[in-house]
Amino acid sequence: MRVSKSRNKGEAAKLEMTPMIDVVFQLLIFFLVTMKQEDILSQLEVSRPAPESTPPPAQVDELLTITVYEKGYVLKGRNVSLQHLDSQLSRLAGFSTKISVVIKCTAGSPHSNLVKLLDICSKSGLTNLSVFSM
Amino acid sequence: MAFGKRNSHGQGCEIDMTPMIDVVFQLIIFFIVTINLEQNYNEDIHLEDAPHARIINTQDEDPRTLIIEVDKRGWISLHGAVVNKSQLAQIIRRRFNAMGEYPVLIRGDYRTKHRDIRGVMDTCSGAGLWKITFAAIKEHKVENGRRRG
Repeated sequence: MRVSKSRNKGEAAKLEMTPMIDVVFQLLIFFLVTMKQEDILSQLEVSRPAPESTPPPAQVDELLTITVYEKGYVLKGRNVSLQHLDSQLSRLAGFSTKISVVIKCTAGSPHSNLVKLLDICSKSGLTNLSVFSM
Repeated sequence: MAFGKRNSHGQGCEIDMTPMIDVVFQLIIFFIVTINLEQNYNEDIHLEDAPHARIINTQDEDPRTLIIEVDKRGWISLHGAVVNKSQLAQIIRRRFNAMGEYPVLIRGDYRTKHRDIRGVMDTCSGAGLWKITFAAIKEHKVENGRRRG
């Protein structure tokens, strides 16, 4: 630091680093403390028919109906587990991913049951999903 | 640090960095604080996991997307403000009239009963919005033990 030597008038020419570094560290701490990593979100698309419309007619042959209850799922009149549904749906998706899946949801079922089912559908690649309420 | 040598007048030729850096950091803080204020999601809503679903890319997301939040009690909120069903219907219809069809994203708590979600979906489809998207968590980044076992 030979700055003051080269100056004619002996003014304070030194760059004061200490406050700057203080401030920088304060900021660093501030950002570290306030930094919050967000969860990565995903989206599940469904189509929702008009409230007054009835479930689609049975003439569409490639149609699968799954009912969501409070405690589980019903496929073709049988209580099924999520794992069973998973294998069934991936098998069906092997034929075609355009198969219409009708999901009927009971009013008392928690939203998590619906989301889990939709997740499995999207895992199999099924995109033609409609949600009805009962 | 020999720049003072060239300076024959010996005036204060050094640039004082401290105020400049202060201002720059003030600006950084301002921007960070305002960005945080923008995304005012309801912290009480805990989403269900959906690891296989498509990721929500905030950059590619349609800016017209209406985010409707439904908490575990079935309370509906938009941008952090609680609304009732008729208000929601009015907002959705007004938006629809103004900009046509737009995407709807429902952030429903995993404990929310389907009847409350149904009310929101019926309101949307009643206004002519058939495509509804549910938000879920693809990957957990926040580990705060809030999930049930």
